[in-house]
Amino acid sequence: MLAYVIRRVFFGLVVLAGASVITFTIAYVAPADPAVAVAGAKADPQTLATIRRQLGLDQPLYIQYARYADRALHGDLGRSYIRREAVTDLILSRFPATAMLAISAIVLSLILGVAAGTLAAAYRGRALDNWLLVAALALLSMPVFWLGTLLLIAGGLYLRWFPLGGFDGSLSLVLPTLTLALGAAAYYSRILHASLADALDQDYVRTALGKGRSRRAAILRHAMPNAILPLVTIAGLDFAGLLSGVVLTETVFNWPGLGRLAFEAVFNLDLPLIMGTVLFSAALVVAANLIVDLLYAWLDPRIDLGGGQE
Amino acid sequence: MAPTCAIFPRWRRLRRFRPFPIRVAAALLAALILPACHAGSAPPIFPPGAQVLQLASLDDVPTLDPAAGYDVDSWMFEQMLFDTLIRYSDAGVDLVPDLATAWTAAPDSAVFTFHLRRDARFTNGRLVTSADFKFAIERVLDPKTRSKGMEYYRGIAGAADFAAGRAKSVAGIETPDPWTIVFRLNAPDPIFPHKLAMPFAAAVPREVVARYGEDFSRHVVGSGPFMLRQWIGGQRIVLVRNPGYFVKGAPRLDGVIEAIGVSEDLQWFRFEAGAIDLSAIPPAVFPYVVKTPRLNALTMRIVTMTTRYLGMNCRMPPFTDVRVRRALNYAVNKRKLVAVINGRGIPANGVLPPSLPGYDPTLPGYPYDPARARTLLAQAGYAHGFAATLWMPADQTMMILGQSVQQDLALVGVNLRLKPVAFAPFLEAIRQPQTVPLFFSGWEADFPDPANFLEVLLSRAQWGANNDSWFYDPRFDTLLAEAAPIANPARRYAIYREAQRIAVANAPWVFLYFPVTWEIRQPWMHGLVLNPMRPARLDRVWLSAHPPAK
Repeated sequence: MLAYVIRRVFFGLVVLAGASVITFTIAYVAPADPAVAVAGAKADPQTLATIRRQLGLDQPLYIQYARYADRALHGDLGRSYIRREAVTDLILSRFPATAMLAISAIVLSLILGVAAGTLAAAYRGRALDNWLLVAALALLSMPVFWLGTLLLIAGGLYLRWFPLGGFDGSLSLVLPTLTLALGAAAYYSRILHASLADALDQDYVRTALGKGRSRRAAILRHAMPNAILPLVTIAGLDFAGLLSGVVLTETVFNWPGLGRLAFEAVFNLDLPLIMGTVLFSAALVVAANLIVDLLYAWLDPRIDLGGGQE
Repeated sequence: MAPTCAIFPRWRRLRRFRPFPIRVAAALLAALILPACHAGSAPPIFPPGAQVLQLASLDDVPTLDPAAGYDVDSWMFEQMLFDTLIRYSDAGVDLVPDLATAWTAAPDSAVFTFHLRRDARFTNGRLVTSADFKFAIERVLDPKTRSKGMEYYRGIAGAADFAAGRAKSVAGIETPDPWTIVFRLNAPDPIFPHKLAMPFAAAVPREVVARYGEDFSRHVVGSGPFMLRQWIGGQRIVLVRNPGYFVKGAPRLDGVIEAIGVSEDLQWFRFEAGAIDLSAIPPAVFPYVVKTPRLNALTMRIVTMTTRYLGMNCRMPPFTDVRVRRALNYAVNKRKLVAVINGRGIPANGVLPPSLPGYDPTLPGYPYDPARARTLLAQAGYAHGFAATLWMPADQTMMILGQSVQQDLALVGVNLRLKPVAFAPFLEAIRQPQTVPLFFSGWEADFPDPANFLEVLLSRAQWGANNDSWFYDPRFDTLLAEAAPIANPARRYAIYREAQRIAVANAPWVFLYFPVTWEIRQPWMHGLVLNPMRPARLDRVWLSAHPPAK
């Protein structure tokens, strides 16, 4: 197990290095001048030339990358061209809000998705299954900005139960969490429904039922452990995506997360901030992948991580 | 005996230790969420009855450092935190004293002398002196600062030597005593005082800048009517009244809180709930606001010193032919275009907006006349029209405007393909020769003078910089050079009017419209005056008694 983790961490670092090279290259070959982003649209050529020299943008690409990589390895992701602040500080200042929203959204979506998927599978072909299918399709079809705005008008403006956006107190978390969780829960419920339905047709479930287990026990204790594995993979990757920020939801709810920071960085061609947010997101995805794999092996002993046990 | 699950022994183990993962998950949740809750802590509490203005905006404030900021959001706060020698009046574009008590210009407009008031202090308690202004401008000129304002002060004698590192200070800025500052320029520049009214030239305390370096933006110390209390990126910025502000009785507010990252729609919801005192008006509710007397009475509007245009690359066929460029001007229905944006604009008759000194109301422009457009196209050899690509910043409003222009031009046989591009690559592309044939663009005035439009956008010297239509007319450039050193406004503006007529006749742009800004305030907010060129100042704003936010 330890050898597997070390190997995966090593490959994770390789992935991060690859991500940094690709992002750096794309950002620098993009048909846009970072000096214009720094100096503004009205800057004259002389000012632009000075800024290019200041930022080292007049150096060959590989030298620019080498300098960046060297600083990054020492924990310095540079300074934002536009905000003039340390990129690391900017990312870390936005991460708590993003993490808070991501955790609450993934927890709620799993609770709702597993409950709905289990109920739908348990009542396969009956009215409840059909209603849950309709509800899931409806939720999946709703764009988050539309659903978010509806929730905001209903819960914030008319009912006045929740704040009108912002990041103040636990109540402000409710509407953005619902916005993110409802669609995801619908998706999870359909996945779980399919895999649970498949598991319920397996011999070991029939055997359990034949030995006198209740249907509830057969579903929850026999079929569920097997059926939930695909959900673990998908939810793990979704969680990494949520941790990287959700631009639309953050915009609708005035949520100060990483998504808007990354969006603004791209919009302003703020290269250090683009690089920083991409690297940070890549690290989260790599970590989430590793955790999902370990969780997978923990849940399913047929998966061998190379340790040779069981 | 409990049933077992022979296939998944570990699942059994999981069930057996179920409370453990729940505890771990709960601890993890708490560890992550509690700090997050702290990060979103409530803003500083003002005493009961305090006059605190609540604002909201979508964009974060990029910086509060006057040397770095060059956008509406930064300038709005910088002018609350810092003082310049002179500034614009609240409602207009005439220069009035800020920290200067008086100023004089030499007859040749190459030397300017300012006398400072002696009672202005930074919020750290130190008196503001002429050395602080000199330091501020030298900081802008220092390439290490990477200031967007560098170009405005290059005309000061010795600025080039200082920027190149050949001199330790700018020789053309003299501070004979703490209350006098003299600027000597390389050449006459009658509009130089306007450049000193830009926030770039605001006084900053050297000792605080030295202490914080590039982080000065987060620890700003100025002499303006307000002080920075809190700034949480992406969330809010909180200013409090500067009790030592040199203008007695100002500001009237105890504080200003701006929520950051609030979309226009959300601003409107908060405005309706009484949670903010001033709001933009989203397009979806604009007709409702205008038709509702109660709300319409609360709106404020002003024609901004901005122009929007459709640039044509005068070096790329078919736009090398002036008849084609004029044809497009006749073919675009500008009134319809303004209607598309809720009427928040005035159809343009030329380059210079009506709020700009030197505006020419007699300029006929190009009325909507598709028949004449077709005739001109036929004369130019395009009787059957042609196809072209219209580049534009990728933005919803731009797309709507682009579709309107597309429809108009289709009627005269010009088939447009719309090409929305991210703003940064868009800027880069239009600055390349022979690359972009047709594009949407606009310009906001830095200072209220025709030179800031005509010279910056259409002179030969700005090819590859801001003259994105690659227009060149020798007579036009000669007139610009002739007008530049003239200080007498009547003579100066007469020459610029003539230059503008040449530009309009040559039609390097389709002159579209001049935007009108609309805001809506709460009935309890008083004293706000919109400015055509700068963000509104808040030092005279006050709030009457009002119900708490719903």
